[in-house]
Amino acid sequence: MNTQNIIDTQNLTKIYRRFQKKEGLRGSLQGLIKREYEEKTAVNSVSLSVKAGEFVGLIGPNGAGKTTLIKMLTGIIAPTSGSIEVLGYYPNDMKNAFKKKYAVVMGQKSQLFMELTMNDTLRLFKEIYEIPEAEYQASREYFAQLFGVEALMNVQVRTLSLGERMKMELIVALLHGPQVLFLDEPTIGLDAVASKQIRKFLKEINEERGTTILLTSHYMEDIRALCGRTVVVNHGSKIYDGGTEELFEKYQKNKKITATFDRPPYRREVEVPKEHIKDALHELMQYEPKDITVAEDEIGVVVERIYREEERQNA
Amino acid sequence: MRKNIRVIKALIRLRFQNLMTFRIGFFGPFLVDGSLFVVQLMIFSAVYANVERIGSWGHGQMILYIGTFSLINAVNMVVYFFGISSIPWKVKSGEMDLYLTKPVSPLLRLSFERVNPGSIPLVLMSLVIIAYGVHKTGMEIGAGTVLSYLFWVGLMTLLYYDMEVMMRCVSFFLVSSAKMEQLEEACLELCMQLPGTVFYGVYKLIFCCVLPYGIMATVPVKSLVGECTPGTALHALIVTCVFTGITCALWKGGIRRYNSASS
Repeated sequence: MNTQNIIDTQNLTKIYRRFQKKEGLRGSLQGLIKREYEEKTAVNSVSLSVKAGEFVGLIGPNGAGKTTLIKMLTGIIAPTSGSIEVLGYYPNDMKNAFKKKYAVVMGQKSQLFMELTMNDTLRLFKEIYEIPEAEYQASREYFAQLFGVEALMNVQVRTLSLGERMKMELIVALLHGPQVLFLDEPTIGLDAVASKQIRKFLKEINEERGTTILLTSHYMEDIRALCGRTVVVNHGSKIYDGGTEELFEKYQKNKKITATFDRPPYRREVEVPKEHIKDALHELMQYEPKDITVAEDEIGVVVERIYREEERQNA
Repeated sequence: MRKNIRVIKALIRLRFQNLMTFRIGFFGPFLVDGSLFVVQLMIFSAVYANVERIGSWGHGQMILYIGTFSLINAVNMVVYFFGISSIPWKVKSGEMDLYLTKPVSPLLRLSFERVNPGSIPLVLMSLVIIAYGVHKTGMEIGAGTVLSYLFWVGLMTLLYYDMEVMMRCVSFFLVSSAKMEQLEEACLELCMQLPGTVFYGVYKLIFCCVLPYGIMATVPVKSLVGECTPGTALHALIVTCVFTGITCALWKGGIRRYNSASS
C-alpha cells in the first residue's frame, strides 16, 4: 500500500445477505422451513486513494454504496473482501488510537443530547477524546466563533434550527482536531442559506486546518463548491474518479438561453449544445432581444447524464 | 481505567442534567418506583403470610432473601438497566454507529449513559428490609460477615449485568429479541420469590447453571447466615466467570457481526 495516502483501499467489497420471502402466508410458511437468501453487493471492488488535505466528493444515486463505503472506512462494518487502510490502521480493528484521529458526521443521525446545551454536551466529548482543559476551551471558542454560534452554546439543542444543529454536530466532530472528517449527507434537509454557510465552514476547515474531508452528498452544489476531486459510484462500483470541474465540463453538454422581447413571443427558452452557443447567440441577436441570459445545464440533468454514461462506458 | 472513570462521571453528570431539565420527570420516578416496590412487598407478604418455612429457610432468612434480591435489582435499575435495555433498538436503528466511532468502549458508554436516580429509593428500601431480616433472624453480625456479604452482592450484581447484556446481544444476531426479554422477566419473577435452595434436579440445573437467576440472591444470603460452603462459593465464582466470559465473547462477536442499518 502507498504510505503517502491517508486512505487506501484495494478491491474493497461488501456483500450483504438478505432474506427473500415469497408473497403471502404460503411464502411465509415456506420461509420457516427453507430460507432463501440473495446476495446484495453494496460495494463492488472499489479501489480508492486519498492524500492528506484532499477534499473529495463521493456521489451516487440512492443505494449506490456511498454510506456503506464510509461505514467501512470508519470501521463501523467490516468489508467482505479487499484491503483497506485509513491513517495506517485497519478500521474494523476499532482501535481507540485510530478513532481519535478521525470524525464522522452522519446527516441523519445525531450525536447531540436534545435536552441539554452544547456546552454540557461538549464536556462529555472532552472526556471521551481526553482533550486537555486549555485545548478544549480554545477549540470550543474557535469553532463557536467560526460557526457564529457563540450565543447558542447555552440553549437547549432541541430549540435550535436544523441548520444550527448541523453546525453543532460539526463542532462536536471537530473538537478533538481529527485528521480525517467523514461527512455523510451533512446538508440533507437544510435550506439554501444554511447549506451555503456549512459549505463555507467546511472549506475553511479544509484550508486552514488541513483536515482531509470525504463528503457524500446528493446536492451537486456541495460537491462543485467544495471538492477538487469527485468519485462517482453506482451499483457499488466506482465509475469515475477525477477532477470535479473536468467531470462537469465533460457532462455539462448544453447551455440554456433565455431571451425576452418587447413583442410576442416576449419570452423564449432554447437549449443548445455548448459548442454551438456562439452561433445560437448570433442568430438570436437578429431578433433584437430585450435581455438574454445563458445558463448551464440544470445540475440534476448533469448528474443523471453522469450516472448513465459512466455506467455505459464501464459496462 | 482513569479515562473510563472520567467518562463515567461525565455520563452520570450529563444524565442528571438531562433529567433535571424536567422537574416532574425528575421527581416522579422516586414516587413511582417506591410505590411499585411497596406493592411487590405486599404481594410477597400475602403469599408467605401462612408459610413457616421455604425449603430450609425460615421467615427471617426469606426476608433477607427478598431484601437482597431487591437490592441487586435496585442497583441494576439505578445504574445500567435503561442503558443496556436500549441496545436492541440501537442495533436495529443503526444508532450503534455513533457508539462504535468513539474512542471509548461502547458497552461502558451504554451501561452508564442512562443512570436512573429515580430508583435510588429502591436501594434504600432494600437496605431497610435487609436490616429488618437481620433483626428477625436475631443474628449477631460482624464486620467480616458484612464484607463477605457485600462481596457476594457485588459479584452477583455483575452476574445480573452479564445476563442482561447477554439477552440484549441476541439483537446482533437475530432481528427480534423480544422473546429473550420475556424469558428474562419470567425467570426474574420466579427467582425473586423462590430462593435457589428450593430447586432440585433439572430445575437446579436450569436456575443455578443455565439461567443462574437462582443463585443471585441465594449466595449472598447464605454468606450472611453462615451457610455458604466452599462448594457454593466455588460454584458462584465459576458461574460468574463463565458468564462474564460468554458475555464478553457475545458482545465482541455481536459488534463484529453488526451490519448497521441502511440510511
